[in-house]
Amino acid sequence: MERNPYFGADFFHFFSVLLHRLFGFITGNLGWDNLVSDEVQLIVLGGIGASGALVGTFLVLRKMTMLANGISHTILLGIVIAYFFSLRSIGSFEGHGTSAIHLPTLLAAAILTGVATAFLTEFFTKTLRLQEDASTGLIFTFLFALGIVLVTVLTKSSHIGTEAVMGNVDALQREDCWLVFVILTINALLIALFFKEYQLTTFDPALAQALGFSTVGFNYLLMVQVSATIVGAFRAVGVLMVLAFITAPVLTARLLTHRLKTLLFVAIGYGVAASLIGVALARHFLSVYDLALSTGGIVVTVMGMLFLGTLAYTMLWENRLRVLHKNLLNGESDLK
Amino acid sequence: MGVFHYFTDPVLRAPTIGTMLMCASAALVGVIFFLRKQSLLGEALSHAAYPGVIFGVIAAAILGFTDLQETALTSFILWGAFFTALGALFSIYFLETRIKMRSDAALCFILALFYGVGVLLASHVQFSLTSFYRQVQVYLYGQAATMTDIYILIYALLLALIGGVIWVFYKEFQIITFDRNYAETLGINTKMLDALLFVLIVSAIVIGIRSVGVVLMSAMLVAPAAAARQFTNNFSKMLLLGMGIGALSGFLGNYFSVELGVALPTGPMIVLSASFLCFLSILFAPRRGILWRMIRSTIFQSQRQQENILKAVWRLGKGKSASFENLKRLLGANPLELWFNLNRLNSNGWIIHDFTGYHLTSEGELFAAKIVRLHRLWEVYLVDYLGMGVEKVHHSAEEMEHILTPELERELTLLLKDPKQDPHAQPIPPLEV
Repeated sequence: MERNPYFGADFFHFFSVLLHRLFGFITGNLGWDNLVSDEVQLIVLGGIGASGALVGTFLVLRKMTMLANGISHTILLGIVIAYFFSLRSIGSFEGHGTSAIHLPTLLAAAILTGVATAFLTEFFTKTLRLQEDASTGLIFTFLFALGIVLVTVLTKSSHIGTEAVMGNVDALQREDCWLVFVILTINALLIALFFKEYQLTTFDPALAQALGFSTVGFNYLLMVQVSATIVGAFRAVGVLMVLAFITAPVLTARLLTHRLKTLLFVAIGYGVAASLIGVALARHFLSVYDLALSTGGIVVTVMGMLFLGTLAYTMLWENRLRVLHKNLLNGESDLK
Repeated sequence: MGVFHYFTDPVLRAPTIGTMLMCASAALVGVIFFLRKQSLLGEALSHAAYPGVIFGVIAAAILGFTDLQETALTSFILWGAFFTALGALFSIYFLETRIKMRSDAALCFILALFYGVGVLLASHVQFSLTSFYRQVQVYLYGQAATMTDIYILIYALLLALIGGVIWVFYKEFQIITFDRNYAETLGINTKMLDALLFVLIVSAIVIGIRSVGVVLMSAMLVAPAAAARQFTNNFSKMLLLGMGIGALSGFLGNYFSVELGVALPTGPMIVLSASFLCFLSILFAPRRGILWRMIRSTIFQSQRQQENILKAVWRLGKGKSASFENLKRLLGANPLELWFNLNRLNSNGWIIHDFTGYHLTSEGELFAAKIVRLHRLWEVYLVDYLGMGVEKVHHSAEEMEHILTPELERELTLLLKDPKQDPHAQPIPPLEV
């Protein structure tokens, strides 16, 4: 493997190297095998950011983010089950960690646990008549605890458990790009294909029902997409930080716009931008201060900063409008 | 090992008693937040305590403490966690009130954001303060087994504090939980009480994460409260019961993690115990439990069919009998259920089975007449007093004939002046004295 060209780069130098390398990839001078770890991280995190923004938009609008929080916890159980089945087919996991899990098995197990979580939560709310907040809280903590116990029993250490909730960007390999890319494509296709249906079942469930669209069906489809997004992200950022990828870009974009299509694109923009800045910052800290910080943690922090910045911007803008409005009423104008 | 052993053994007693006290205090706060329908607040706050844990460690390291001075380190960690959890609470409040973010989004956003900052700081600790890293990771899933006797004292104080505050402000908490508007008209300072409750929940979480961990702490607020709710409608009983269930889960978690012998982590075992206790309550609690509800509904259904059988045979005319096939067709019933209910009617002495089929005894005759009377009285009432159309009343009466009590029958008779005909011009059987 060649030397990492980003080695020793600071924040701005990172971008100039990236541009050069991008040019190389476009012209074909560089290929798949030349992809270095910073670029793998960039692709994976950017992909998660875009996927998260796509599903997150509808989750936020449907007020279902806490269910996504539940799924992000219970998916550990799916990961453990997938791990167990892969373990049986490979034999031993010495030195493999989570990268040896068979990907289709992982995806299937994650989707299964995600849908099971949604179903159980609904069952406890509707049939057993437990209030909604409590059934959400009860189901996911139960399944998560079960996941941790199984991890401990199966692997004799809580290492996988820690990796699943913390994530580790440095353990990513080129193959991880594929999983993220596949999930992003599926998310984009499903949302493009069912845009009208998602829109209708989100904003006017009663009308959707009357027109014959199943709100419940699209809820479950969304849950499938959420589960896939979370499992695609767990190796990089862990099952909990992916929630920031799902909520933060959308909530930031909502400060600026309320039009659904614009919201989707602005949210994707924020998600990808945060990943880009985050990876560059991680490299910067390593080169300049010799600090090896968690890239996932940096990206999430950047997302928080972007939210605060956008919030400050909108609040200042509102304030200026208010002042302008008052001046206009008083007959003075500071329009120049 | 005997159960008693867990309270006396020098190694086991601190984790056992400590977690029991901790779970009891978390359950107390949990009951109040369950009734406010804010159970998920604990989830956000416990994750938000994680960066505080690491701030505490970093601060302790900067001030020159080592990873071996556990008491000092623990107090730094607790204060750090307390402040970030409080910060998360304020952020959620700000997002919900100032920019009208929906509650679920605000909770999830703050949870993920604070946790992400925590992971960032943790990576710093792992890299630069490696000897402290083990201390930090303990707070992720909790580690009850390494707790020392000092924790019994800490948790006892916590329980005393939370219990004491709830004791003193019991009336006020009850009023603001169930009727906020009424509380305000009484001049109760709801803002101050809310703030007090928030301090309580943050304290319970911050101190609890040592044994259950930030990821699972919220379960200890939800599960005992949801379980207790199944047994009682009374606030004080629910608090006490929740406390008991919490303490029991704390004990069971420790017990199973030791007894099962595969070095199971205590925190998740406590959560599993609490969840199982909650599931059992949801299934089997008297009155509200799902099993009793199903039994009650089955009994009612069977009673209803028995009454319908009597009615069907009565309609055929005096002394007439009906075959099993005939009844099955008339009632559209499942044969097994019908057979069971016919047997019950037979043993009650209301129906006799002979070679002609099933026919009513004189007692059965009276009983059937009474049901028909209720049905037709209700129809008269709907038409005369509620002004419903004659053709619409039959379905409602089909239901009400099984529900009306003798007292209601008497009232209806008086109100309607003992009518002789129903709206379909059918005779109403007279009231038997």
